[in-house]
Amino acid sequence: MAEVQQNDSGKGKKGHQKKMQIRVDFTPMVDMNMLLITFFMLCTTMIKSQTLTIALPSNEKVDNVENMSQASEDDAVTIILDAKRKKGSMDVDTVNGKVVPVIYYYFGKPGGKDGLGDFSPATIAERNNLQESKFLANDAKTGRAQGIREIIQQRNKDVLTEVNKLKEKYSNGGFGSLETKEGREKAQAAYDEAASKVRKDENLKKPVIIIKSTPQASFGSLVSVLDEMQINSISKYQIDNMTKADSLLVIDYQNRHHE
Amino acid sequence: MGRVKIAKKSTFIDMTAMSDVTVLLLTFFMLTSTFLSKEPATVITPPSVSTEKVQETNVVQVLVNPEGKVWLTMNNDTSANWSNEKMRIALLDKVSEIYNESHPKNPVKFTNEQKYTFSKQGAFGVPLAKMGEFLNLINEPEGQTKMDQWLEGDGNPAHPTGIPISWNQNDQTPNEFQMWMKAMRQSDNENLTAAIKDGTGVAIKADQNTSFDIVHLVMDNLQTIHMNKFTLLTALKGAEE
Repeated sequence: MAEVQQNDSGKGKKGHQKKMQIRVDFTPMVDMNMLLITFFMLCTTMIKSQTLTIALPSNEKVDNVENMSQASEDDAVTIILDAKRKKGSMDVDTVNGKVVPVIYYYFGKPGGKDGLGDFSPATIAERNNLQESKFLANDAKTGRAQGIREIIQQRNKDVLTEVNKLKEKYSNGGFGSLETKEGREKAQAAYDEAASKVRKDENLKKPVIIIKSTPQASFGSLVSVLDEMQINSISKYQIDNMTKADSLLVIDYQNRHHE
Repeated sequence: MGRVKIAKKSTFIDMTAMSDVTVLLLTFFMLTSTFLSKEPATVITPPSVSTEKVQETNVVQVLVNPEGKVWLTMNNDTSANWSNEKMRIALLDKVSEIYNESHPKNPVKFTNEQKYTFSKQGAFGVPLAKMGEFLNLINEPEGQTKMDQWLEGDGNPAHPTGIPISWNQNDQTPNEFQMWMKAMRQSDNENLTAAIKDGTGVAIKADQNTSFDIVHLVMDNLQTIHMNKFTLLTALKGAEE
């Protein structure tokens, strides 16, 4: 292709034309192209980053306390994100420059049914209902949820059973055939709608999760806990500020468990 | 016994086909590539199972580094009436208007040349009082490099980088970060304001090791000016069910 051969039709004629072969060597061209490709391949960002949408309450002070939505004691789960501290102090202990996430949680009110009363150290120590947990992926062998996920799943059992039923229905083709791409998209949309209905179903018992965080916790663990909400089909959750009771509980817990 | 004749073959390999292929590949990469824009700080976003794609246009990105410095990037829908350049000039006008309301004694004013320079920048974030000096750097030799260095923090105390941000829960006395965000929301570009309203228009990009305190500061600032919905930039993690 890169060569042009001239047919020597004028053989034997006067003004004998030389046999000419015109060959263009494309090797340097290929070299240069390869370099350019490498450049573009390295500079391009193929993977688009993902986003997580969150909605926070307004900062405005609510004058009428009755207007505030209150989670009932049975449903409320408070998750407090924290960082691993150095032994015997409140300083953050880092491993390879990374903050190690620690999670605490309690059900209902801080201090249980009776509350914390006068916040005296003795009362706090006695009524501390804080428990510690971890971010863990599902067990590789059994596929069972572990750590904080297990706790959330237990609280959200009703919804998850329904959602799992829908998932099964989806994979069995209950929302339409999964054979074609179009069919899959349709089935996916139908599934999403049904699942979001289940998540918001008022008749099912579902927890209200309040996410709080100490200033030292990492942004990564906040995203992880928001992930858990998505994984476990939690419809009601919010990010809130630490209260005095929360801080006292965490400090008390650390004093007693991290000698 | 005749010797077996080995035909003399040319070693010339025809590279034309190869060249065709490489040119095709090159065209593909050239057309699909979006260049990484230079950012004043490198952050590693936390992994998440969320699969929502990031918006590429009509989005304001708030870049937060682990020390709590904040920069802004704005990407506009270039196909619409508002080009990035036009939008930035309008934004600078708007923000200086808001700034001058609360600083009547030492107002900021930008020349057309400075506005033009601003419109060509990527990420931005110096205190407004220093913005004029910052933009004038372009006239010096290697001005752009100097500007980038300023943004990354060149250690010069006269060159503070990052948009001033502080705890402020009063909507009436916004800090500079809030002024910028307000200016974005008040812009005449309807696509951008609509995106900000439904929450996809504001994205916070922070490192996974940034302490919650710093991210909370940015969130709280946004809450104060009633931008309660926004997105967090994350990286894809292998889906876990």
